[in-house]
Amino acid sequence: MKKPWSLAALTGVAALATLAFAQSREGGSEPPPSASATVQPIAFPHSTHAGQFQIDCQYCHFSAERSVDAGIPPVASCMGCHTVIQGRNQPEEVNKLRDYWARGESIPWVRVYKVSDHVRFPHMRHVAADAGNLECQECHGLVEEIEVIQEVAQPLKMGWCVDCHRQKEASIDCTVCHY
Amino acid sequence: MSDGIKRRDFLKVLGTGGAGATVFGCSTQQVERLLPYVVPDEDITPGVATWYTSVCGECPAGCGIWVRTREGRVVKVEGNPDHPVSGGALCSRGFSSVQGLYDPDRIRTPLLKEGGEFRAITWDQAEGLLAQRLEGGSNHLFLTGRVGPSMTDLLDQFLSFVGGSRVEYEALSEAPLRNATRIAFGRNFLPTYDFEQARLIYSFGADFLETWLSPVAYQRGFARMSGVDAHGSKGRMVFLAPRLSLTGQNADEWVPLRPGCEAVVALSMAHVIAREGGDAGPYRAVLQAYDPANAETASGIPAREIEELALRFLQEAPSLAVGPGVAGHHRNATAANLAVHILNAVAGNVGRTVRLRQVDEGAAARPFAELRSAMDAMAQAGVVMILGTNPAYSVPPPAGFPAALASAGFRVAFSTAMDETARLCDLVLPDRHFLESWGDSMPRPGVFALQQPAMQPVPLFDTRQAGDVLLSLAARLGGDPGAATFYDYLRSRWAGIGALAAPGTGFDSFWRDALRKGVVELTDQEEEGPVPLRSPDTALSFDPPPLDGDGEFTLVVYPSSRFGDGKHANRPWLQELPDPVSKIAWHSWVEVNPNAARRMGLGTGDLVVVRSPHGQVEVPVWVYPGIREDTVALAMGGGHEGYGRFADGNGVNPMVLLPAEVEQPSGALVKLATRVSLDPTGRRRPIATIEGSSDQHDRPIAPAASLASLTRGSGEAGAGEEQGESGHGQLKEIQAMGGFAPVATEGKPQDFPLEGSRYGQYDPAANPRWAMAIDLDKCTGCSACVIACQSENNVPWVGEEQIIMGREISWIRMERYYETVDAGHPGPVDIRFLPMICQHCGNAPCEPVCPVYAAYHTPEGLNAQVYNRCVGTRYCANNCPYKVRVFNWFSFSEVPEPMNWGYNPDVTVRSGGVMEKCSFCVQRIRETQNRARIEGQRPVRDGEVVPACQQSCPAEAIVFGNIRDPHSRVAQVSQNGRGYRVLDALINTQPAVTYLKKVTFHEVHGGEH
Amino acid sequence: MATAINEKERGALTHPDVGSFGQVNRDILKMLSRPGKGWWALFLVAVGGVGLFFSAWIYQITTGVGVSGLMNPVGWGVYITTFVFWVGIAHSGTLISAILFLFRAPWRQSIYRAAEAMTVFAVMTAGLFPLIHLGRVWHGYWLIPYPNSRFLWPNFRSPLVWDVFAVTTYFTVSAVFFYLGTIPDVAAARDQATGLRKKLYQVVALGWRGTDREWHHFGKAYIFLAAFATPLVLSVHSVVSWDFAMSIVPGWHATIFAPYFVAGAIFSGVAMVITLTVPLRKIFKLEAYLTVRHFDAMAKLILLTSLIVMYAYLTEFFMAWYSGEEVERSVFWNRLFGPYWWATWIMLVCNGLVPVMLWFKRIRHSIPALFVITLFINIGMWFERFVIIVTSLSHEFEPFAWGQYRPSMTEMAIVVGSFGWFLFWFLIFTRILPPVAIAELKEVLPAPRRGARKEVTAP
Repeated sequence: MKKPWSLAALTGVAALATLAFAQSREGGSEPPPSASATVQPIAFPHSTHAGQFQIDCQYCHFSAERSVDAGIPPVASCMGCHTVIQGRNQPEEVNKLRDYWARGESIPWVRVYKVSDHVRFPHMRHVAADAGNLECQECHGLVEEIEVIQEVAQPLKMGWCVDCHRQKEASIDCTVCHY
Repeated sequence: MSDGIKRRDFLKVLGTGGAGATVFGCSTQQVERLLPYVVPDEDITPGVATWYTSVCGECPAGCGIWVRTREGRVVKVEGNPDHPVSGGALCSRGFSSVQGLYDPDRIRTPLLKEGGEFRAITWDQAEGLLAQRLEGGSNHLFLTGRVGPSMTDLLDQFLSFVGGSRVEYEALSEAPLRNATRIAFGRNFLPTYDFEQARLIYSFGADFLETWLSPVAYQRGFARMSGVDAHGSKGRMVFLAPRLSLTGQNADEWVPLRPGCEAVVALSMAHVIAREGGDAGPYRAVLQAYDPANAETASGIPAREIEELALRFLQEAPSLAVGPGVAGHHRNATAANLAVHILNAVAGNVGRTVRLRQVDEGAAARPFAELRSAMDAMAQAGVVMILGTNPAYSVPPPAGFPAALASAGFRVAFSTAMDETARLCDLVLPDRHFLESWGDSMPRPGVFALQQPAMQPVPLFDTRQAGDVLLSLAARLGGDPGAATFYDYLRSRWAGIGALAAPGTGFDSFWRDALRKGVVELTDQEEEGPVPLRSPDTALSFDPPPLDGDGEFTLVVYPSSRFGDGKHANRPWLQELPDPVSKIAWHSWVEVNPNAARRMGLGTGDLVVVRSPHGQVEVPVWVYPGIREDTVALAMGGGHEGYGRFADGNGVNPMVLLPAEVEQPSGALVKLATRVSLDPTGRRRPIATIEGSSDQHDRPIAPAASLASLTRGSGEAGAGEEQGESGHGQLKEIQAMGGFAPVATEGKPQDFPLEGSRYGQYDPAANPRWAMAIDLDKCTGCSACVIACQSENNVPWVGEEQIIMGREISWIRMERYYETVDAGHPGPVDIRFLPMICQHCGNAPCEPVCPVYAAYHTPEGLNAQVYNRCVGTRYCANNCPYKVRVFNWFSFSEVPEPMNWGYNPDVTVRSGGVMEKCSFCVQRIRETQNRARIEGQRPVRDGEVVPACQQSCPAEAIVFGNIRDPHSRVAQVSQNGRGYRVLDALINTQPAVTYLKKVTFHEVHGGEH
Repeated sequence: MATAINEKERGALTHPDVGSFGQVNRDILKMLSRPGKGWWALFLVAVGGVGLFFSAWIYQITTGVGVSGLMNPVGWGVYITTFVFWVGIAHSGTLISAILFLFRAPWRQSIYRAAEAMTVFAVMTAGLFPLIHLGRVWHGYWLIPYPNSRFLWPNFRSPLVWDVFAVTTYFTVSAVFFYLGTIPDVAAARDQATGLRKKLYQVVALGWRGTDREWHHFGKAYIFLAAFATPLVLSVHSVVSWDFAMSIVPGWHATIFAPYFVAGAIFSGVAMVITLTVPLRKIFKLEAYLTVRHFDAMAKLILLTSLIVMYAYLTEFFMAWYSGEEVERSVFWNRLFGPYWWATWIMLVCNGLVPVMLWFKRIRHSIPALFVITLFINIGMWFERFVIIVTSLSHEFEPFAWGQYRPSMTEMAIVVGSFGWFLFWFLIFTRILPPVAIAELKEVLPAPRRGARKEVTAP
């Protein structure tokens, strides 16, 4: 006769636990970009550019050191090299680039890294020389080894930010990021 | 929050910044797109604001502005500190121009009317059609509002080419003043006034803080003059008018003048001064007739009062009298202005506080007279073109403007948004907003300012700048205007200015500097010293003017400090800005004196029909002690029909009560012309006001100190703080583990958080304590800060019915308390203004009650509100004694495209169900700190962080900074003897905002407040 | 002679008209048989109320809290009013069952079951309102402390968090207490029931057989829970009162709030018990079990608490005047003569004046009179909370920010609906659980003896 009760109790506890667990992982913001999101209009291999040719991140992401946004390279700066370089691996992709240039269109890159709209992430405070000398890789993973950019293991969630801020003894005041 | 500001929106613009409108499809896709520039724009760094100098086009004052853009999109305008007019500040209308730019009701394509219906056509068709019409017809007409000098020249050039004439009609023109200046001094130009130098100001109803001539510059001057200085000296203002406008509310004394009696009183003062030896020049004879005794019978002001006023005007030199403003344009307005000029001249103010220049702006503009003759000529006109003026709305119906316009052959409107006049036209050409277009301005002789486009034209609207259209028309008609675009035309005209301003340097460098600085001041326009009075060349009557009708009340129609003549009415920010005088938003009201209301059994909210011989309007009563018993007042700007979704149907247009009559000498429209009767309808309506009680109920909220008590020794002024810090004695704060223990503190902002409650990162040595000081002796209640804050912090608007429910969401509540207001007879007036913002208390009552730490205290002493953590219990708002916490009852932030473009990307847009409030512009603090860090980790300088309200304040009343730094300006100002903190004595909240008491000339009764 | 003795005994009996144990079982369990028309009518009303309640709430969630009449400065309105009201109602149950049990009050047995049920359902209703009033109810769980990677916890200084603990604790304990008490009766019901009902009762009765051992444990558990629940009666409503007392709002910030609220809670709770048991008694013909004597006792309790509450009112007004603090004075003056004067006067009349009638024995013994009076008291107590919350908030420190609040239709729909929600559960309860405690009732009946029946029924 006691069974149903103990069962009910157990399920209840289990439910609560899962909720708590889920919430502890979930930063209370949008889900990460869907898988389809990572199909880029041009198959741009970071591994080739950042890895093989050792191009500095900030050569393309030009404003990371002085702005909140890292900056998406203008089509012009791609063409800076690719007017002459056809590329051995995927010349057809380079042609796509040239078409965009010819049409005077901007390339609709799919966004991979995004923090919630109520979060302010100033790149310059993290990249600039003074602020703990963060390497881009600490958040973005070993980009130079990744062919197609994916959000690396850790989700861009508050818990993860706070962890790092605590380790590096940066401020964990809410209004550092939320205002 | 999930429906916070959409980054997507920016990137969209960031794309359009370089790549044109092609990228707009993306916003609809699920997957978020990043759209880079095709070709980088060298002066745009994504994520960093780019500023452009320009000129505010909202009113003829021509304030210089800085336009803040992010990712190629305008997000805010601010005053240009280098500009002599704005001096870094701006008025509420100026700040609202962003909403003019992103007005969802802007015209999207050229429109052609066919069978009464507008149909979209291409620009090519439109210009082709217009060219052909121009060729076909002759003696065309061009109605314009006030436009910049270059545009004026282009118009005249164009019209001489196509054969036509130009008529300038500015509904709020000061033609009578200008004409009076011509008569009195032979200077056909508006004088400029030096309020700062004056010690005593007599305003005969000139609303120089709101709408008169150059409100921002004059407000700055007035605040400097009337604000008490270190030596306890303070200038004085006397307001002589039937109704207290905002300017009047800031006066120290009020002489409730019978409407239309300015001339009589001014002249009898001049009479007294002349008797004392003042030089009345050719008017000596005239003045004989105006001894105070006669003036008393005419004006109802006791003779001794006039005597006294006159003598003070002579003694407290330099003094300044400013003439009746637009609200005082009666049938003898020119005479009234002349009388005021005479008063100034007799008192020797000309050349000191009244500045004249040896320039002649050609024939005096006689706005309404010219419009009338133009209307008669319309029947013969081939094409009538209209730019920047809206006569169909702003001209009294008896004039029959629509009929006259209909008689013209072809009607063309150059307009950014559809308005009453454009609707009457056959062809509507969408014009560029001034933030998108080139232009220039000459706010005063010798000062030239450039207006440059701060962003690519908003791609939703297929617009062309009127100047460009005229040039291409000229080209189509085979003419050679000498320039392809208005930009070229402008440069060619500025070549001349360059030659004068910067001889030697090449034009391009001059042009670059001009663009960077935004203004060029020529030095060859010397101001003159005293100019003798001339004998009048026109027959003028100084008598009180005749009034139409036999109603019980005289009707005063005044320009709204929010809408001017009504051209700013389609902006929700301004619609929702509580009127600085009445504190009413969205709808109109008629101001009635309490005694008159009692006599008629009327109360605030009762609907009455205001009936004049010329028309009638139905409007709710607002009982106002600041208006004469025999007078009622209506503001312009309401009652639009067909101007836009935010303007239409709100309030009434008082112009329908007026005769379409010309004030003869000056050609201005007569506005103080008629008597009206109030007929109760027996119905009521709820008033959309933010005012709870305008009585302080003996609470230490907006106390004042009498000048005497200050000069009696600052010690006493300090001791005047019966609600001062001394009250606290020893404060108790929870100690680490030891429970409550006394902590020694004088209760200064810098002491908080107190010893023993400083954990973790709350180290006072390592952190600033942001604080603010507001000088209530300077604050005029103009409410520019309210709109500036709204623009900076993405504060939404909520709409009329929400305001009626009491859900205003503005972060600044401009409180207005009556102390002494007496419309019965001349005497002191004392109305207190208090901008109430979050006080960022050291002991904030809101913080402990929040169950989720959404409201908490930051190490920098800010009282933070973390929107994304807020669950919306509203406990914090209940527990806030200042009631500065406002709640998002719905998702107010969802605004029609493209208004969301105006959102400030640095501030989270709040969703429904969360609390919000003043943040001390924390985003600006962070921006500055970030800059300081990447500039070699330098410390943040004092005065480097400037909140939007401080930046906006024309009266320079607000100071912000780190109060822990004893040398910071805010620390110094907070030491002032007049300093006090609202309610602190009562509930020990330890605010970070220190107010400096208003200073009055009369003794303050009721215990300093 | 013998009769005289019997008459004397009779006087000592709490239920003179109940003859035998068997009769008790019959009478009470009869209630669980087929429901009558009246019950169904009430039940339909209740279901309608529930529908109204949730449709209105869902509308509010999807549209925004703005659909209520709440505004600045009045951020709390009839939602919190109704929350406090229901929490108050919830009190008498535990009071009657636990405290009176510990004090061995003989008249408690026949009413405590209904009272306890009322408690449980009232808390279930009350608990919803803090959620309803939230701006973002989907984040409501942030008030519960749970481990998370963001190192975020609720603010334990906030009375609202105390509320969460107080209300949930109170609900748990009173629910367990209620359930425990029903076990023997459910067993009794089980033995008579058939089919699905039997199955249900079998589960609920936890296989109660009524052995001495079971009775022994039962007694222990019961007295323990009673002792455990007693302090809660005082603590819960004290905590609720601190929602107000801990703030600085003039009219809220008062040290008497805790006792004041507890007294008010008992006042309203007992009143609600009467309001509910009177119809119950009528419908189920329980005159023999719910005797005038019970109502008389409850009426006296009401009278007492009414006096306490009235005293609290007067103290508030006196202190406001005596403090000499302009703000305080202004608030209380505004209460009496401001825009909400009507609410205040309703409160004073219903809670202060009307109960005065209970001084008279005749009224205490007239069931209809009591029913009407308690209705007034329920209304009065609801308005008490309305007055405290709304008048204080609408008239605070900053005169320029004063404002009036007017409840909206949606708001009132939710408030009215909540009564349906409560009634819904209560009616179901009367159908599946014996609304009068059979076993305990028997405790106070004279033990059966030969020929007893004849005597009792003798003239």
